[in-house]
Amino acid sequence: MLSTLIWFPVLGAIAIAVLPLRQLKLAALTISGIALLWTLWIAHQFNFTNPLLQFQEYLPWLETLGLNYQLGVDGLSLPLLMLNSLLTWIALYSSEEEIERPRLFYSLILLVSGAVAGAFLAQNLLLFFLCYEVELVPFYLLISIWGGEKRDYAAMKFLLYTALSGALILVAFLGLVWLQGADSFAYDALMGQSLPLWVQTVLLSLVLVGFGIKIPLVPLHTWLPDTYVAASTPVAILLGGVLAKLGAYGIFRFGLGLFPEAWATLAPGLATWATVSVLYGAMVAIAQKDIKRMVAYSSIGHMGYILLGGAALTALSLVGAVTQMVAHGLILAILFHLVGVIEAKVGTRDLDVLNGLMNPIRGLPMVSALLILGGMASAGIPGLVGFVSEFLVFQGSYSVFPLQTLLCVVGTGLTAVYFVILLNRTCFGKLDNAIAYFPKLEWRERVPALILALTILFLGIQPTWLVRWTESTTTAIVATVPPLTQPTIASVNRPVNSPQTVGWVVPDNSIK
Amino acid sequence: MTTATLPQNRIPPSTHEFADIIHRLEAGGSMLPDTPENLMQIIGIYKAYAVPMDFYWRNLLYIAERVFLNPLPAFKYFLPQEYLDLHNHYAGDDADIRIWRGEATAHPELLEFIQKGELKQKLPKLLHHLWHDRINMEFAEACLRAMFWHRGMGGQFDPYLDTDEYKANADRAIRAFFRGNPAMLGLYNLFPEMFLEQVRELSYYANLGLFWEVMAPVFFEMSDLYDEGKISTVPEAMNFLVNGIFAIAGRPIYHHVYIGDECYEIIPKSKGFMWLYEAALPYVEAVFYRTSPFRGTKSYNAQAKQIPTDQNEFHYGILYADVFPVGSAGIPPTLLMQDMLHFLPPYLLDYYSQYCRGEDDMLIQLGISFQRSMYNVTSAVIQALRTALLYPLDDTNSKHLMANRQFFEGQLDRFKRPEARLRDIQQQDYR
Repeated sequence: MLSTLIWFPVLGAIAIAVLPLRQLKLAALTISGIALLWTLWIAHQFNFTNPLLQFQEYLPWLETLGLNYQLGVDGLSLPLLMLNSLLTWIALYSSEEEIERPRLFYSLILLVSGAVAGAFLAQNLLLFFLCYEVELVPFYLLISIWGGEKRDYAAMKFLLYTALSGALILVAFLGLVWLQGADSFAYDALMGQSLPLWVQTVLLSLVLVGFGIKIPLVPLHTWLPDTYVAASTPVAILLGGVLAKLGAYGIFRFGLGLFPEAWATLAPGLATWATVSVLYGAMVAIAQKDIKRMVAYSSIGHMGYILLGGAALTALSLVGAVTQMVAHGLILAILFHLVGVIEAKVGTRDLDVLNGLMNPIRGLPMVSALLILGGMASAGIPGLVGFVSEFLVFQGSYSVFPLQTLLCVVGTGLTAVYFVILLNRTCFGKLDNAIAYFPKLEWRERVPALILALTILFLGIQPTWLVRWTESTTTAIVATVPPLTQPTIASVNRPVNSPQTVGWVVPDNSIK
Repeated sequence: MTTATLPQNRIPPSTHEFADIIHRLEAGGSMLPDTPENLMQIIGIYKAYAVPMDFYWRNLLYIAERVFLNPLPAFKYFLPQEYLDLHNHYAGDDADIRIWRGEATAHPELLEFIQKGELKQKLPKLLHHLWHDRINMEFAEACLRAMFWHRGMGGQFDPYLDTDEYKANADRAIRAFFRGNPAMLGLYNLFPEMFLEQVRELSYYANLGLFWEVMAPVFFEMSDLYDEGKISTVPEAMNFLVNGIFAIAGRPIYHHVYIGDECYEIIPKSKGFMWLYEAALPYVEAVFYRTSPFRGTKSYNAQAKQIPTDQNEFHYGILYADVFPVGSAGIPPTLLMQDMLHFLPPYLLDYYSQYCRGEDDMLIQLGISFQRSMYNVTSAVIQALRTALLYPLDDTNSKHLMANRQFFEGQLDRFKRPEARLRDIQQQDYR
């Protein structure tokens, strides 16, 4: 069942690459649409009261290496799987009709989708690493071939940073297995390891830096603005909406999951790191003149909330963190999409040139309206999904890290500042007659934004649909970690009063 | 009107910012470049403008003459058949001067639109009205209010509104209108100036109605001549207007009110107020040049001197209008554009559908065409004034030519400000 989410897009990518199909975009959309429906069906079948892994699959592969084909889904990965499937379809739909080298483009997008799904589903560290690295090359090609100005530089920077990210993660995984003396990279087998706390801390640090590059967190972020800006709109949607979430997912799954005690030790530092990211991202965003770069920096800031929620490690903050992953993915996707539309129509992303796009006849009123909605969602305005996730993170984190939480609330205020700047200059004011001959919006430009906007609105007023997948899993995760207020020592024993089954990592044989 | 040879041979070329346009005016041309595309646009728009204008003038006269001071004029835009059948003095067989060869009563396209509207369905008139599926008189009222608000733009008509004679005439009409209505008469005795001010405004209703009564047949005739191939250049179109202006210049401007069976002459014809000086020129000055900032398009801060302190320097008329943001609901020029949209000739519909966003921004495109056409009308007014006040274009005296030059330069100085669209209309791709 879960394999379909990996192999159907991969086989679709191969089919598009080799078969003499004419309607390539339609074919790609159909493949990703089926994958999306399949994900929704899995979600429908998913028992969200069960914190354990569900729909597990196991195939022996290279057992001598400890590499087996192990898949499973729980409340942490399911929302991200849905996000991946949705944004892949959105990215494909929003791509240009007359794109250059369409076979390669659509194949690479589908390949990325399959690899990312594989990473979210993998329950074997090496399998995760393989999937994590597989998406690297397609993304590199997508940026370097279809990117904008400075695409070669951006693609190379992306490649170097993420290759380093992969290397650090691999070292951490190998270190864990070797030092533990395990004969397998199976995730469940590595749970409850008995390494000394300092070793855990070193390994966790490698994981944090590795995934921190991917998220990215300050100061590991310098690849992001260049890459997001150089990438074409569909690729930017996937980069910001999906790839960054892979980093956040990795930190929770493999950082928190494998090294809970070290995590508890480092938590105050992580919360501070998150706060620095939030404030830095917001303040740099305020200074930007390029609206795409502004959105890119906003992404850095908002990813900080996820780390804050994870660091606080309360049931509520962790739900908030996962919710924020989804919310951020949706919001960033709509913002990148709309910025892409504005650039395509107006020919510039310069805040000093853009003006009056709200003009009802000659402007881009629908784009402007949705941009306002996206900005409001990003700034955490109630009624939109951004509010739900940020509120949960703040509410869950305040009791543990009050200062950091308050500073992050200030970061939300700064988000409102730069979005007001963006919206005020871009949407309002007088449309410049000299440039106001923009082409009409096409359906491929309207539909993705409308779908994303409706999703943002729906989840904003009905957040249960977002948090219910995650709640039991995150509660179980929290139960595995010693309280932050107690002195932490390395122990092979699980904390007193924790559930017998360690939450989301113990296979549930009753569910096939 | 004769087309002159270039006077630059006898006087040095102009060094004005708009030297090319001044030389074009000196050669008998218009401020609008002479291209077939421009001609097609302005003639098509004249026709599209003339149909609602045929309603405007009838309704304005109806309000000035019949609705008068009705305190609840909810149905003032519901024009009675009597006014639709009213004969235009410049069209039809019984015309004073037959400018248009068509009929004197309301234009057939207008009658059809009144019946079925944009919906092409015969519904109760009230539904068409509430749905704004009608001719938008709000635009016409905005024009006359601009004339009334700016006042003092020359002529005798406006000063007359403050004379005792006018007040006495108005007083008679007011008392007659409210005869048997002690409440309104009591109010009138308490606040006479308020009522007099209303009557002054109504006099401008009559003024503008009488002005447009002339312009509608002029535009209809120009459209017909274009269709017949008898107008083939922009200067020819301008000269038709100039000739029309002189032919009609003496038409009386008056304000009569009909109460019961009696006619009250608030401004009698015998005052000799002439169409050119008391209606046409104030109209051009108030509506083409000045008006007031369009509400809703920009916030103006008067204290920060974003609005000129002197009304003479107002520059919000169609010659300066930024048509792009005007396409918002409720702004009078948009309502005019909406009215014109219903009556565009097929060739203009085809033309607009080929450019920009086609049907989606046709209002803006026709608004730009309207701006071009009004620059042509303004050119006609400038040429007419030059004819009346100065010298022929083919005058051999270089001093006379220099006087003409200075006149043209003085007129075009008004378009030096950045908001003026004179530079834009020189470009064909300004749409």
